[in-house]
Amino acid sequence: MADLRVDLGKFSLKNPVMTASGTFGYGFEYAEFFPLDRLGAVVVKGITVRPVHGNPTPRVAEVSSGMLNAIGLQGPGVDKFLHDDHYMPFLKKSGATVIVNIWGKSVDEYREVAEKLEAEKDGITALEINISCPNVKEGGISFGTNAAKASELVAQVRAATSIPLITKLSPTVSNIGEFAKAVVDAGSDVISLINTIPSMAIDIETRRPKIANVTGGLSGPAIKPVAVRMVYEAAKAVKVPVIGMGGICNADDAVEFIIAGASAIAVGTAIFTNPMAPIEVIDGINSYLDRKKIASVKELCGTVDIRK
Amino acid sequence: MSHTGEILSNEVLKDKYCRAVFRAPEICEKAEPGHFVHVMIPSMRDRILRRPFSICHAGGSQLTIVYKVVGRGTEELSRLKPGEKCDFMGPLGVPFSLPVEDEIPVIVAGGYGAAATYMISERSKNKGYLLLGARTEKDLILTDNYKNNGFEVRVATEDGAVGTKGLVTVLVKELLEENKGKNLKFYGCGPHGMLLALGELLITNEIDGELSMDQMMCCGIGACFACVVKVKDNNPDGWRYARTCKEGPVFKASDVYYGRT
Ligand SMILES: Cc1cc2nc3c(=O)[nH]c(=O)nc-3n(C[C@H](O)[C@H](O)[C@H](O)COP(=O)(O)OP(=O)(O)OC[C@H]3O[C@@H](n4cnc5c(N)ncnc54)[C@H](O)[C@@H]3O)c2cc1C
Ligand SMILES: Cc1cc2nc3c(=O)[nH]c(=O)nc-3n(C[C@H](O)[C@H](O)[C@H](O)COP(=O)(O)O)c2cc1C
Repeated sequence: MADLRVDLGKFSLKNPVMTASGTFGYGFEYAEFFPLDRLGAVVVKGITVRPVHGNPTPRVAEVSSGMLNAIGLQGPGVDKFLHDDHYMPFLKKSGATVIVNIWGKSVDEYREVAEKLEAEKDGITALEINISCPNVKEGGISFGTNAAKASELVAQVRAATSIPLITKLSPTVSNIGEFAKAVVDAGSDVISLINTIPSMAIDIETRRPKIANVTGGLSGPAIKPVAVRMVYEAAKAVKVPVIGMGGICNADDAVEFIIAGASAIAVGTAIFTNPMAPIEVIDGINSYLDRKKIASVKELCGTVDIRK
Repeated sequence: MSHTGEILSNEVLKDKYCRAVFRAPEICEKAEPGHFVHVMIPSMRDRILRRPFSICHAGGSQLTIVYKVVGRGTEELSRLKPGEKCDFMGPLGVPFSLPVEDEIPVIVAGGYGAAATYMISERSKNKGYLLLGARTEKDLILTDNYKNNGFEVRVATEDGAVGTKGLVTVLVKELLEENKGKNLKFYGCGPHGMLLALGELLITNEIDGELSMDQMMCCGIGACFACVVKVKDNNPDGWRYARTCKEGPVFKASDVYYGRT
């Protein structure tokens, strides 16, 4: 049995496997498949100041080796999240390590969510600032593609809370290293990437877009090579830990991200195919380490050999 | 929870409709009318999502689904041979409630809806009606099975080739007219437009019903918020999006939001 613990600066996890925000609900729905405290962390769906309806349907479409989604961050709002039995109170009871993904339409809204979570932070291990959602008109990705705006946002959230901060980056920037550095300088303790890639699919019979929002975010195996490259570049650029995600379906995929430079990883879309995927990934990483006679997953991080 | 189901038979029922029978005792044990299973179709390596199908029949260890071939997944499903296996999640969702006391079941269906509601005709102690709407004769399925279960079958086709010409709501109006004062319990499953029309018609007549709604589905258990429909809510907008996989697929007609926004 290898040592699976990972160190993410201000906090550590029992293993490197988390669930990607938006693909695991608020944990409740998957608790009948496995105990949530087996995961490194549960990352909940994006939480906002007020409840959000989300986008019209259809909200998802399947494409080759992936899917498009434009859910539009439907959610209960931060107050209900903190107090309704199905959300935070349930997660606390489950013993899960909880990371809360946050989102807003303006800097003020992000700050307000952070303040409310700060006030009741018992049981919250970290916040993940989503500056990269491609499916909402305001906020989200408009911060994710402008390094100055992103830094300002992170600094404001930083000022509002002492909870460790993860900033989730968008893949739609040309220099991810620069971007990562900017948010780390602004106070982010960890970075995570990638969010979905803005994409489109059209029904050729009706000539209608396959999702009502016209465009949506691509996720799943189709985006994995893009994600591995960006994790590699981001990890080289910053000293803080990096959480990698994008198309991870099994332990081999997860190990690839770790070798590229990720300290921890998240399983997302693959959960829709196989609800047990995160657990299989944990067990599979352990088997890989045992097979390679590597004592700790930390030793594997960033060990890609690029010698010519 | 997921289970493996071995295909026992998989045959064309009529035109594009097929019937697959699986050995899936764990699912059968819990299956109720209106429940669905979320099926991983093998042999589609580049397709990542499961496909939802209503449970048409669950007897002993045998689970039956009736499906229409409409795309890649259902096409691959139709090619599976006895002995091959699929991974199932289920039974999932909120089921229909069976008629009680003197309630007479009235099933209003279109397309595969007649399969999704079929277990009501098997398990209801009271016999009733199937009102089936279809574009053409080709979409009329399971009518003999319903008759064998003691149900009266009435049909409407858009082209008028069989039964009444027009939409199924015409049959609903006729039936309401004939059965004034009787305790009718309505069930609906079919295209979204048909269900909204049915729901509004029932509400105008001050009766409730249970409608099984279907939307493009993803996780199947309430985590991803893909498969939502509008239901009434006491927030300022008067509605919210509810997940058909978890809060449905069966909704009360009186809970569905009919406003256009
Ligand atoms: C709760 C529920 C129960 C269902 N029960 C049955 C059933 O008993 N029998 C049956 O034949 N079908 C049923 N369906 C619909 C069935 O899931 C879809 O027809 C199937 O997923 C299509 O897969 P495909 O790969 O063949 O089509 P795709 O290639 O994915 O799509 C082909 C076409 O089918 C449409 N489609 C895809 N998914 C759905 C969906 N979920 N609902 C409506 N249209 C869809 C697409 O918009 C497209 O036009 C049910 C759906 C739900 C949500
Ligand atoms: C249905 C769906 C909903 C998502 N919702 C969120 C969200 O609320 N917040 C967020 O930061 N990312 C969200 N994401 C992005 C994922 O967390 C993840 O970054 C992305 O899907 C890539 O990983 P994957 O290929 O393993 O899914 C969502 C993705 C999907 C598919």
